[in-house]
Amino acid sequence: MSRNALNLLLGLILVGFVSINHASAADGKTVFKQNCAVCHALTDQKITGPGLKGLGDRIPKEGDWLFNWIKNNEKVIKSGNAYANKILKENGNAAMTVFESLSDDEIKAVEAYILNPPVEVKAVATASNADAGSGATEEKGVNPLYIILSVIVILGILTGILRGVRLSLQRVNNDKEGNEQAEPVSFFEEGKKWLGEHKRFMVVCLIVLSCIGMKSCWNSLFRVGVYYDWQTNKGYHPEQPIKFSHKIHAGDNAIACQYCHNSVEKSRHAGIPTVNICMNCHKGIQEGPITGTKEIAKIYAASGFDPKAGTYDVSKQNPIQWIKVHNLPDHVYFNHSQHVVVGKIECTQCHGNVKEMTTVEQKSPLTMKWCIECHRKTEVAMAGNPYYDRLHEALKEKYKKEHLNTFTVAQMGGIECAKCHY
Amino acid sequence: MNFTKIINLKTLTVGAIAGVMAFGLTSCSNAPNSPGYEFMPDMYRSPVLKYYNTYTLNGDTLQSAMKPVAGTISRGCMPGIPAGMDYEKAGVYLKNPILFSDAVLTEGGAIYGKFCVHCHGEAGKGDGKVGVKLPGPPPPYDGAGLKNLPEGKMFYTITNGKGLMGSHASQLSVEERWKVIYYVQKLQGHTPGQPAVADSVKAEIAMVVKTDNKKEKQTK
Repeated sequence: MSRNALNLLLGLILVGFVSINHASAADGKTVFKQNCAVCHALTDQKITGPGLKGLGDRIPKEGDWLFNWIKNNEKVIKSGNAYANKILKENGNAAMTVFESLSDDEIKAVEAYILNPPVEVKAVATASNADAGSGATEEKGVNPLYIILSVIVILGILTGILRGVRLSLQRVNNDKEGNEQAEPVSFFEEGKKWLGEHKRFMVVCLIVLSCIGMKSCWNSLFRVGVYYDWQTNKGYHPEQPIKFSHKIHAGDNAIACQYCHNSVEKSRHAGIPTVNICMNCHKGIQEGPITGTKEIAKIYAASGFDPKAGTYDVSKQNPIQWIKVHNLPDHVYFNHSQHVVVGKIECTQCHGNVKEMTTVEQKSPLTMKWCIECHRKTEVAMAGNPYYDRLHEALKEKYKKEHLNTFTVAQMGGIECAKCHY
Repeated sequence: MNFTKIINLKTLTVGAIAGVMAFGLTSCSNAPNSPGYEFMPDMYRSPVLKYYNTYTLNGDTLQSAMKPVAGTISRGCMPGIPAGMDYEKAGVYLKNPILFSDAVLTEGGAIYGKFCVHCHGEAGKGDGKVGVKLPGPPPPYDGAGLKNLPEGKMFYTITNGKGLMGSHASQLSVEERWKVIYYVQKLQGHTPGQPAVADSVKAEIAMVVKTDNKKEKQTK
């Protein structure tokens, strides 16, 4: 046998060994994901069980401690092993699941995976970061009032300067021609005289000004009790105690609206989520793409959660006081479930594209006119809607002459006063 | 003298109009935190106690949203997990009380799409958009760990949470939880309604029942 053949054989054995090793590592990953990842992270973050970073240095070296522990931790604890009992105590006597069902090979694979986890490159969400940044800096239009005021101020200064120039020129001229210097007149006196001389101009100015004033008063009357600006079509968008972004949650992560506003199909109110719903995800996700840990820390403060220990302290709980954006006066009855379940209306029809909003804004005026307009033009979806069977028949009878087959909400009584005001 | 009279009248009107204008213009301000003016605020903020508000009672500030008195049973409610039942026992004794039908499965699918999909993924592989961002992604339903998970354990997990998953009892009623379990069984690869119970699970159940019986005998 030649040297080459020997080399080849050795090479083959090596390749085989490496690939077997590789396969077991991959296996270990799947076994870990399916059985362990629910409670253990590979970092030092505590989920339910302790984080596994640096596990190899912590556990006892003698025997197959880790193997036995994974297979049946109860047995190890009962055998009186000091380290086993210590970690049981450290984790509040919460026992780990027994994995007798795993084969020895699987346990060995997962052991290898835990002790030497492959280094994973953490993807940095730069794209979404940049996105959010541009979304956060909202366009700010300059208030026309400030423009007018600044023009007035500039004109005033100009008048003052020009008056000074005129007076000094006059004085120089008088000196030159040997005329007698006129007695100095105060600015106010001169203005008074000018006003007296230009009465017609002043009247026109006053009429224009009062027209503008009345128009803006008229406009502002339309904003009384309406959280909506008709000129800019911009609604109420208050700053919330936590910079919660619907764009990240409902948009980028595609969480359904109903996950957090879960009473929308069952009740009048869509519901503001309680902090336990935030914690369903944020127990694990402790850092956000834009504000990092700053805003998420507010959720932890509200729920009394200690992210390091992974425990709750009920005595430290403190509700988050969200600010209600969509307000209806007390004398109006509105029911979300009726519109969403029976009317099959999409959330976006009234609330706009919330998935794109960093700060939630009232997109519809929510005035009575707005309600009525929609009730007048919306046809009731009657097909497959047993709720309306009897009403449908009655309406057919009523509108026989008009040969109507579809009915709007208004025709079903949707604009009766007592439907909403009682 | 007549001249000054006119000026006085004028200055008065100018002042009045300027004041009206100032009111008109400022009320159009776009300050994000200001909801604007309210006409008759008592019609907006009635003395009736409303949701998500605080109120003071005998000097204490209280929340209008409060938990019902302990032991309250809501109307038409379906019993959940009996007191004292743990995860293992739930797996043995809790059974789906909802009769299976295709309509129930569709309903379960709709609930899954709203409440589970972003972590567990469309096909239950644990690859939802949020799931992959968690430090420990949810295990796949059809993987070795969850393939033969009994429905009682699923119900216990949805109700009380397990590992990284929090309790979803505040979002889903007992009925909705059982409905979505039918859909999860479909994702596990079983025929929902009659889940195949693996031999190992059967053995496990037998063991738990045995120890329970023993304990009962001992207490007697």
